[in-house]
Amino acid sequence: MARYLLRQSLNILLTLLAVTFLVFALNELTPGDVARKLLGPYATQEQVDHLFREMGLDRPLLVRYAEYVGNVLRGDLGTSVIYRQPVADVLLDRLGNTLLLAAICFAVIVPLSVALGVLAGMRERSPLDRGISVFASICASIPEFAMGVFMLAIFVVWLGVLPGTSPMRATAEWPVWMQFVLPVAVVTLYDAGYLVSMIRASMVEVMRQPFVRTAVLKGMPFHRVVTRHAMRNALITPFTVILLQLNYLVSGLVVVETLFAYPGFGRMMLEAALAKDIAVVEAGALVAVTVTMLTQLLGDLGYMKLDPRIRI
Amino acid sequence: MTDKLHPLVTAAGREMADGKLDRREFLRVATLLGVGAGAAYSMAGLSEPAMAQGAPRKGGTLRLGMRVQDLSSPHTYSWIEATNVARQTVEYLTYTGVDNVTRPGLVEKWEASPDLKSWKISLRRDAKWRKGGRPFNADDAIWNMKRMLDPATGSSTVGLLRAFILENFELDEIDPRTQKKRVSFRLWDSNAFRKIDDFTFEINGKSSFLGIPEAMFHYPAHMLDPAEGGKFGVGSNGTGAFELVELEVGKRAVLTARKDGYWGGGPWLDRIEVIDLGDDSAAQVAALASRQVDMIYQGAIAALPAAERLPHVQVNSVDTAYTAVARVQPVKPFDDKRVRQALRHATDTEAVLKVAHRGLGKPGEHHHVAKVHPEYADVGFMRRDVAKAKALLAEAGYPNGIDTEIACRPQPDWELLAVQTMVEQWKEAGIRVKINVMPSAQYWDVWTKVPFGFTTWAHRPLGVMVLGLAYRSGAAWNESNWSNKEFDALLAEAEGYLDVERRRAVVAKLEQIMLDDGPAVVPLWRALFNYSDKKVKGYRIHPTAYIEFKEVWIEG
Repeated sequence: MARYLLRQSLNILLTLLAVTFLVFALNELTPGDVARKLLGPYATQEQVDHLFREMGLDRPLLVRYAEYVGNVLRGDLGTSVIYRQPVADVLLDRLGNTLLLAAICFAVIVPLSVALGVLAGMRERSPLDRGISVFASICASIPEFAMGVFMLAIFVVWLGVLPGTSPMRATAEWPVWMQFVLPVAVVTLYDAGYLVSMIRASMVEVMRQPFVRTAVLKGMPFHRVVTRHAMRNALITPFTVILLQLNYLVSGLVVVETLFAYPGFGRMMLEAALAKDIAVVEAGALVAVTVTMLTQLLGDLGYMKLDPRIRI
Repeated sequence: MTDKLHPLVTAAGREMADGKLDRREFLRVATLLGVGAGAAYSMAGLSEPAMAQGAPRKGGTLRLGMRVQDLSSPHTYSWIEATNVARQTVEYLTYTGVDNVTRPGLVEKWEASPDLKSWKISLRRDAKWRKGGRPFNADDAIWNMKRMLDPATGSSTVGLLRAFILENFELDEIDPRTQKKRVSFRLWDSNAFRKIDDFTFEINGKSSFLGIPEAMFHYPAHMLDPAEGGKFGVGSNGTGAFELVELEVGKRAVLTARKDGYWGGGPWLDRIEVIDLGDDSAAQVAALASRQVDMIYQGAIAALPAAERLPHVQVNSVDTAYTAVARVQPVKPFDDKRVRQALRHATDTEAVLKVAHRGLGKPGEHHHVAKVHPEYADVGFMRRDVAKAKALLAEAGYPNGIDTEIACRPQPDWELLAVQTMVEQWKEAGIRVKINVMPSAQYWDVWTKVPFGFTTWAHRPLGVMVLGLAYRSGAAWNESNWSNKEFDALLAEAEGYLDVERRRAVVAKLEQIMLDDGPAVVPLWRALFNYSDKKVKGYRIHPTAYIEFKEVWIEG
């Protein structure tokens, strides 16, 4: 176990190093010049060159990368070019917002998907199963931006009962909690649609197992068969998938954040990437990769717990 | 406003009386030469436009949906959004109105020498800094202008005034890339800015320049408190009607009304909140619909129909010379002017305007001079003629049409729509064009290099300004590499005429050359538009998208 954790930690560090280098190099290769971007279209080439040198961008890529890694190891993530603040400040603020949104979504998505998936899967091809499956497929197949626009049209423009954007500031009319309703609803419908189908499929398979038939035949009440025997087994496969949703919820909310003007991590990453604000992009990549690797680790450990046959 | 009129004003007045000078152009010239707007309007026999929107009401908060950018260095701003926040605190010396007429701001009056090289600028005496209460004086103005023209600052004002007041010189450094000495620039003369007294100074250029008052309204030309060293932020000093009290880049900015009295009357609003809604046009409309903002800085075509349906929202729009042109470089098959003509004949600009910009604006006429330009000449509207386009192609040796590719950007949305519409129209004439959509950043890397591209051009007050930038042989921004000796000579001639009628006569020839030989298809002139809640009063949209809040109020 200790060896496993050590190996995994090393693995994470190596991946982080590789990703930061790749991001650095890719940023270099993509077109556009950060100095030109900052000075605007009317600045002369001399002024652009001047800033370019001032920012140290005329030095070789490897030198700048080594310097960057050195700074990060000392805990200095650099300064954002577009936000003109230390990267750590911007990042923490935006990440905090996204984690809050992600936590609320996760807290809604998981119980909802498990409940619907189990309900659908316990009696295959029942009307309940059909209803839930169709609903889940529809939700999962409408892209977030389309779902968002539908919801805006209904609840904001037509009914006028919810705020259309979520800048996370209370106004006289719209308290902050109401500003969460639409983003959470869009993420939940989209993401739960997928999870429900996964859990249902796993449940269907478990319900066909001999031990379930045995339990039913020996006269155990159906709800106990489901909750005591089937559910735990049915959740082993979707467990990893559920954990993978954490990734999506931290770094994949860019569409929803943009649509609802939510000041989160995804929107920050998009804007930083477009402006070639490399310090922010790198820090964001570090966070995203760490989250991915940690959820994988968590997934492995959880797997072991759920299925005693697995040993690491 | 001035005691004696500039000789050019008298001349211009005579020409107007003879019917040779357009009243609008007279207004512009007269005000630039130091005649007050009110006086100029009455000399022109017009009444100054007034806003009849009822009596202003004091109080209330206005919430504006607009990007909140870094504001730390006003003299190097490159986006209007940043200036729209800072402008409320740090003002300009002059103000060019929606009507293209430049009026005094912190400057009370100006006088130009007959040769337009020397400008005497008198400041108003009642404009005071919010902090310290000191009057805004000539030292402040000169410090700001010199700072903007310093190469170390990096202000775009340099591009505007370079020929007038700066000279190049060689540095001792060698540029490793070109192996030549680096070149920098400085004021051409130690007397370029000369203080006369506390409220008067002189600007002395090395060449004639009519546009000094307009240059003082160039968007980064904010007047900052020299004690703050060119920086701007929360609590920064200013002469303006509002104070910046909160700033979170990417999220919001808050301004509150100045309490110690403002020289310009008003302000009426107590508070302005700028809320960053990102770039998504759906978010903008959603925020308007749920009344989370009272105004949107600029509208997008895709969301316009939705915004139009909101009963409490008003769409404000103004015609501009803002456009995008499909231009070709002289390489095969476009090295033959008949092929370039065919491209124009195959385009239905009215249809492009309707489809790509929902009819907001004016159809293009394939020469880059717009109806809003004072020297615009009507040389006839070119209607679509597919048969003629086909015939021209056949004559040029392409009886089966041509196959080519156009480069363009996906944003703003109307640009791609315009390209798609034109490509469909061209197809009928046998001009088969593939669309190569590339991200904006990538497009700006290659915009002067692609053989066939679609490039946006901002609004400029004069037609000759844009012709000089985009079509003169060898100009840095001549993206089509087009070169026409006759055009160059006529353009130089047109630039030398202050009198708009004489300029118009030459511009008519320039337009003809562009129709016959030119490299461009100009599909449309955009109208700029935005949205505001109907309770917002006293606001008029400006062709440059500048927003001035000191005159705005919220109806109770």
